[in-house]
Amino acid sequence: MSEMWLNMGPQHPMTHGLWNLRVKIDGEMILDVDPEVGYLHRGIEKISEDRHYNEVITLMDRCCYVAGFAWEHMYILASEQALHLSPPERAEYLRVMCEELQRIASHLMWYAAFVVDIGLQSPFLYGMRDRDLILDLFQSYTGARMTYEYMRVGGVRNDLPAGFTDRARQVMDWLDKKFVDYDRLCLGSTIFRGRCDGLGVMTARDCVATGVTGPMLRSAGMKRDLRRDRPYSVYKQLDFEVAVADGADVTARYLVRMEEMRQSVRIVRQVLDWLDHHPGPVLADRLPRWLGAPYAPQGREGYLLKRNYPKGVGFSAIEEPHGEAQAYVVNEGGEHPYRVKFRSPVFANLSAARHYMIGYHVADIPPIMGSVDICIGEVDR
Amino acid sequence: MGGATLFSVSYGLASLLLHALGYILPQPLRAGVTNGNVILGLGVLLFGAILLGASMINTIVLIWWERKLLGRFMDRRGAMHVGYAGLLQNFADGFKLFRKNTFRPREADSLGFYSGPIAYMVTSMIIFGILPISSGWNSGSLPLSLLLALAIFSFAPLFIFVSAWSSNNKYSLMGGMRSAAQMIAYEVPLLLAVVAVVVVSGSFDLSTIVYEQQNYWFWGPLILALIVFVAGMLAETERIPFDLPEAEAELVEGWNTEYGGMLFAFFMLADYLRALVGSILVVLLFLGGWTMPSWVPSAATSFPLAGIAWFMVKTYAVFGLFVWIRASLPRVRTDQLLRIGWNRMIPLSLASVFLAAALVMVKCLPVFGCLPSPGI
Repeated sequence: MSEMWLNMGPQHPMTHGLWNLRVKIDGEMILDVDPEVGYLHRGIEKISEDRHYNEVITLMDRCCYVAGFAWEHMYILASEQALHLSPPERAEYLRVMCEELQRIASHLMWYAAFVVDIGLQSPFLYGMRDRDLILDLFQSYTGARMTYEYMRVGGVRNDLPAGFTDRARQVMDWLDKKFVDYDRLCLGSTIFRGRCDGLGVMTARDCVATGVTGPMLRSAGMKRDLRRDRPYSVYKQLDFEVAVADGADVTARYLVRMEEMRQSVRIVRQVLDWLDHHPGPVLADRLPRWLGAPYAPQGREGYLLKRNYPKGVGFSAIEEPHGEAQAYVVNEGGEHPYRVKFRSPVFANLSAARHYMIGYHVADIPPIMGSVDICIGEVDR
Repeated sequence: MGGATLFSVSYGLASLLLHALGYILPQPLRAGVTNGNVILGLGVLLFGAILLGASMINTIVLIWWERKLLGRFMDRRGAMHVGYAGLLQNFADGFKLFRKNTFRPREADSLGFYSGPIAYMVTSMIIFGILPISSGWNSGSLPLSLLLALAIFSFAPLFIFVSAWSSNNKYSLMGGMRSAAQMIAYEVPLLLAVVAVVVVSGSFDLSTIVYEQQNYWFWGPLILALIVFVAGMLAETERIPFDLPEAEAELVEGWNTEYGGMLFAFFMLADYLRALVGSILVVLLFLGGWTMPSWVPSAATSFPLAGIAWFMVKTYAVFGLFVWIRASLPRVRTDQLLRIGWNRMIPLSLASVFLAAALVMVKCLPVFGCLPSPGI
């Protein structure tokens, strides 16, 4: 076989979404790669300009369908800053709990997809089984398993149902036990180490140069986590470690994500304890009246209310399960955001493919791409 | 079983059928159909039909067994709805594939595209005519049946490569290349492991090899050869951890990417036929075939068709081991696979041959008892 370009995607088992990885191969060696995205572009940023502030939350769930809460949280933080609102403290803790549970669910989804990429079939079901427990928790207080629409500008939609914290603690205990199994199935396997060690290496210098963030950056030994370095919401009050590893390869990314799940369990436990002892409102009582769309004052009264509301700009950066996501919301008065812009971490991680793909084998493409943890919904938006 | 071999059963059946037919036919035709050669011909046909049916049903039940077992390993139930515990699910799946249209890509070479899967299936099935399932199962004693079985078994890469190349698809081609490289690399240790068995038993005849195991099974003294043989069989039947020719993560479906409907079903069935042959060979060569050790109560070994029953139990247990391996190991990479094959398996298999030769020289072992005298 001579050199040839191979289209891996947009319909391909490796892609985990709708995108195309063009690979130039010589036999089994990768000579060049060219990731192509855009198949899932829905124009979410533009659509947001035509929606009420609270209606944009629906779109956030669809931006990243495995980490909907993280994106909701990011958008809410930016738009609250733009609207000069602050939520009650209990709502902030609830949001952090959502985000951390979401991080575990997202990493479990990653684990399930990643092990299938290297041919391990049983842990796929184990990962999905344990992710389902978290989705059950989500369902019990939001009513939905993937697209929650739970957070609101100025708080969250509703409080937790009775007995939730105990159920959540049970799930956390179960997960702590299962993480040991995961490690034994993967790290304990010689074939797994043979497949993953020294694969897809991307140094910290390359990561910084290309804007790669999240577990990929931390796996290169750089201890950067926005929850610690630029604390938002109530992360300052919570006690956790930043997961880092040194290898900069697929195994290191595995280790980082596993450790992050353990740390998230730790955070969720603290938040649950706090929630048990601090009842209170979950939605700010002094919200602008036009934010609640159905009963918003119409006509001239509504117009004046909106026109007189202070303008503002909001920016937020959060540590999403995939990396550092940022949102920028411009409030020019009125019920819609004037402009919304998001930064997707996966877009940067994916665009740097040339740095961590070239020189490996065709059989290495799925594990490397799996270790990047791709969510095309947020790349294309 | 004694004298009632499968062939005598099918011959008797043919004779009965043709005589019944002759009873209702007029005289000149009656003499024609009750002719000895005609009865023999029909007997051979029936023999083949029984083998075909047995092997197909076994294959489909084997798929069910894998699905159920894999389901349990994965913390789920597997097929549940069609038939008792999903036993008929695979028949339904097969029927669905049978009804489906088969497409051929416009650029594909039609001769290779269609003949590849059929030849793959047919050669896999021929092996069943040689394998003794129980005493008196096969038509006659072939002195070199082991060699013949392995020779037919190693046809497969050729047909896989033909169908992969004629599909005119890059993924198929890469899968075909991998498959050819893999099967050729693992053919050598597989055959060397078999040589160890041949050295100890002194025969290439599968029936003789089983009879030699009546005192003790070969897996104990030849444990090294067994390990090499099972690993080689996993590679030959393209099962995890050696399933990279059809690694769905990167190659979509490998060499059968372009196949659908019944042609895909041929590949699927042939894969499981080969897995069945692999398990049967492990049982025949290392686990005593249809014989049972003497400490097993005679009531458990003397009922009608006890040989076949025990043989099937062992075969499905060996296949269960394959499934267990599939459920717990990741897939290796091509270069790792070849390195394992050439650097580890061949030295191991050579060592097992030397070990077997040493065993024959020593003759008696305190643990395993005395070896049969080699009849070479």
